[in-house]
Amino acid sequence: MPEFKFEPVTMPPEAATLRAEVRAFCAAERAAGTFTPALGSMVEANPSFSEKMGARGWLGMTWPKQYGGHERTALERYVVVEEMLAAGAPCLAHWIADRQSGPQILRHGSERAKRTIIPEIAAGRCYFAIGMSEPDTGSDLASVRTRAHKTDAGWKITGRKIWTSYAHKAHYLIALVRTSGTADQRHQGLTQFIVDLKSPGITIRPIYNLYGGHDFNEVTFDDVFVTDDMIVAGEGRGWEMVTSELAFERSGPDRFMSSYPLLVEAFNAAGKTPSDAAAADLGRLVANLATLRRMSGSIAGMLQAGLNPATEAALVKDLGTAFEQEIPEVARRILPSEPRAALPDDRYTALLHKSQLECVSYSLRGGTREILRGMIARGLGLR
Amino acid sequence: MSDIRDEMLRTLDRIVEANLTIAEREKADGNGPSAKLWAALTEQGMTALGETDSEIPFADAMALVARSGYHAVPVPLAETIMARRLLSRADIALPEGSITLAARAGGQANLVGVAYGGTAAHVVVADGDSLHLLQVTNAVVHNAYNQAGEPRDTIDLGKAKTIDRKPLAHATDVLIAEGALLRSVQLAGALSRTLEHCLTWVNDRVQFGKPIARFQAIQHAMAIMASEAAAARAAADMAVEASEKQADWFAVAVAKSRAGEAAGKTAAAAHAAFGAMGFTREHPLHYSTRRLWAWRDDFGSEVIWQSKIGQHMAAKGGENLWATLTEMN
Ligand SMILES: Cc1cc2nc3c(=O)[nH]c(=O)nc-3n(C[C@H](O)[C@H](O)[C@H](O)COP(=O)(O)OP(=O)(O)OC[C@H]3O[C@@H](n4cnc5c(N)ncnc54)[C@H](O)[C@@H]3O)c2cc1C
Repeated sequence: MPEFKFEPVTMPPEAATLRAEVRAFCAAERAAGTFTPALGSMVEANPSFSEKMGARGWLGMTWPKQYGGHERTALERYVVVEEMLAAGAPCLAHWIADRQSGPQILRHGSERAKRTIIPEIAAGRCYFAIGMSEPDTGSDLASVRTRAHKTDAGWKITGRKIWTSYAHKAHYLIALVRTSGTADQRHQGLTQFIVDLKSPGITIRPIYNLYGGHDFNEVTFDDVFVTDDMIVAGEGRGWEMVTSELAFERSGPDRFMSSYPLLVEAFNAAGKTPSDAAAADLGRLVANLATLRRMSGSIAGMLQAGLNPATEAALVKDLGTAFEQEIPEVARRILPSEPRAALPDDRYTALLHKSQLECVSYSLRGGTREILRGMIARGLGLR
Repeated sequence: MSDIRDEMLRTLDRIVEANLTIAEREKADGNGPSAKLWAALTEQGMTALGETDSEIPFADAMALVARSGYHAVPVPLAETIMARRLLSRADIALPEGSITLAARAGGQANLVGVAYGGTAAHVVVADGDSLHLLQVTNAVVHNAYNQAGEPRDTIDLGKAKTIDRKPLAHATDVLIAEGALLRSVQLAGALSRTLEHCLTWVNDRVQFGKPIARFQAIQHAMAIMASEAAAARAAADMAVEASEKQADWFAVAVAKSRAGEAAGKTAAAAHAAFGAMGFTREHPLHYSTRRLWAWRDDFGSEVIWQSKIGQHMAAKGGENLWATLTEMN
C-alpha cells in the first residue's frame, strides 16, 4: 500500500546556535520597534528588514557562495524561516524570491540571470512575484493564454496575469506563458520567463482584497520584450518548472504558521488557568502544530537529500492550511461572545478579525484544497 | 529500518497469518485473549520484550506494537511489553507470561477497565510514587469488554496478592503516560490498516459502471484519511523517539491527542466509504475500526490530553509556546 512517511530529521549541529541567533535578532528588532507581530511574516513587507536579514546571511542560505549564497543546509534555512514566522517578523518582501524564484533561477536560469539576480536576492534587495494565474486560468494552470512570440532579439509577451501578489513592489515576475501550440495542447508549449517589471508595456493595477488590503494585482503585458536568456530552463519546459517549484512552495512552515501570532495571543487571552474546554481547544491546536512541525521538518530533510516529495508537500499543506484556519475559530471561543469591536487598545480582537478575513485565502493560494487532495489521491493510486 | 526490526515485523506478520484466522478472532472477541496466538508469540520471544536493558531497542519494540495494532491482535502483547519496561525500571524481577498494567489514581479499592486484567498472569499497578507487581487470579470481580470485544476487567485490590513493590517517582503519572504512548502507537498501526482496507475496497467496488475510487468525493475522503494516518504516525513516532528512557509526557500528550483525533475521523470515513458491507460482522474492517474507537479512550481520551497541554501552556504563557515546541526536537 502506498504510505506517506515522515521520518525524523537530524538537525545539523549548527542549527541550535543559529536558532538562538535568529530568535535574539527578532526579539531585538521587535524591541526596537521595527515590527509588531501582526498577522504573520507573509503579510507584512519591510525591505529594510529584508536587507538586514540578507546582511546576516539568512537569505539564499543554501545557494553557492559564488552567487552571494552561503552554502548552508536546507535544514538551517528551515530553522531561519520558522523562527521568522514564529516571531511574526515582516518577510513578505523577499519571501517568494528566497523561497522559490531564487532556487529555480539557480538551477535552471542562464548564467546572466544567475549573475545579475541571485546575489541581489541574497542581499535582500531583489523581490519577485509569480505570474501563473489568469482571468480564465486558476486551478487548471495548463490553460494559460498569455502568449510569447519569437522575435529576432528575443520574445514579446502579450496577455494578462491576475492575483499576482506583490507585483506592485517586486522587481521581477516569473510568468508562465504559452510559446507554441494552443491551450488544448495542455502541458506542451509552455515556457517560464523572468520579466523585469519595469519593462515597457507592463501595466500593474491593484486588486483590493476583501478587507481592503492591497496584496494582489492584475498585470497586463502589451508586447513586453524579454531576452532569450531570461527563459527559465528552456522553451517548452514551463510545465515541468511549475510542477517542480510547487514542492518548494508547498512544503514550508509558511503553510501552517500564518496565524501563529494569534495562537500566542489566544493563550494570553485565555489566562493562566483557562476552563478545561478552552484548554482542550488550545491544547488540540498545539498537538496539531507539533505534529505539522515534525512533518514539515521531515520534508525539509527529504529536499536536503535531493528527493522531490511533491505528494507529501501537498499533504502537509492541506493539513497545515486547515490548521491555520482553525486558529481564529478557536480564538473567538476563548473570550465571552458578546459583540466585540476592535477598540484602539484591544490588539486581540483586531488580530482575530484580521486573521479571520485573511485565512480564507490560505487554502486557495498555492493550490486549492481540492487540487491538493486530488494530488494525494493520485499518490494513493486512485487516479 | 534496522534489520532486527524488519525481521521482527515479518515474523509477526507470519505468526498472525498462521494463527489468527477469522474463526480465532471471533473466538477471542468479547471473550478472552487468543491462547493460540499468545503461545506462538511467546515461542518467538515476542512476549519477552520491553526490559530497559534489552538488546531490542525501545523503538523496535514499539514498531512491533504498532504492527500488532495494525493486525488488531486479541492478546495483551503491547501491555506485556510496557509492563516489563516499567518493572525493570523499578528493579522488580520480571515474571513469566502475560502482564497488564493499570494506574490507581484516586486511592480506589477497585481497578476498573484493566486490559486483559482477568486473564493476565500479573498486573503492574502504579499508586502514587510506588509500583506494585500483583497477582490477581482471585481478585477479579467483573469481566467486561470494550467496543472492540477486548477484556476490560475490574479487579479488587484488597483480594490481590502483592508479589513485589518498589518506589518509582510519580509512578501513577508515568504509567498513564506509558499507557497512552502504547495506545498512540497501536492507533497508528490500526489507522494504517483501516486505510489499507479502504483502498482495496474503493478500487474493487463498482457502482455506476466504475470503481468507486473514480469518484472525486471518494478520492478526497481517502486523501483525508491518508493525511490523518500520516499525522498520527508522525506524532506517535515523535513520542517514541522522545520516550526512549521514560515516557515524555508532553510528546505523549501530543501523540495521544493527534492519534485520537485521527481515529474518530478515520473510523467514520471508513464506514462511509464501505456502505453496508462495512456494517457487517463478516467483513474484517470492524476489527480495526472498533479498536480505533476503543483505544482513543484508553489512558486518557484526546480531550483529556489536549486539555493537559492547554493548561500547561496557559500556565507558561503564550510567549513560551514556541520555545516549548522547538525543544521537542
Ligand atoms: C491571497 C492570494 C494570493 C495569490 N497570489 C497569487 C500569485 O502571486 N500568483 C498567481 O499566479 N496566483 C496567485 N493566486 C491565485 C491562486 O493560485 C488561485 O486562486 C488558485 O490557484 C485557484 O484558482 P481560482 O481562484 O481561479 O479558483 P478556481 O480554479 O476557479 O476554483 C474554484 C473552486 O473550484 C474548485 N476546483 C477547480 N478545479 C477543480 C477540480 N479539478 N476538482 C475539484 N474542484 C475543483 C477549486 O478547488 C475551488 O474550490 C493567489 C490567490 C490568493 C487568494
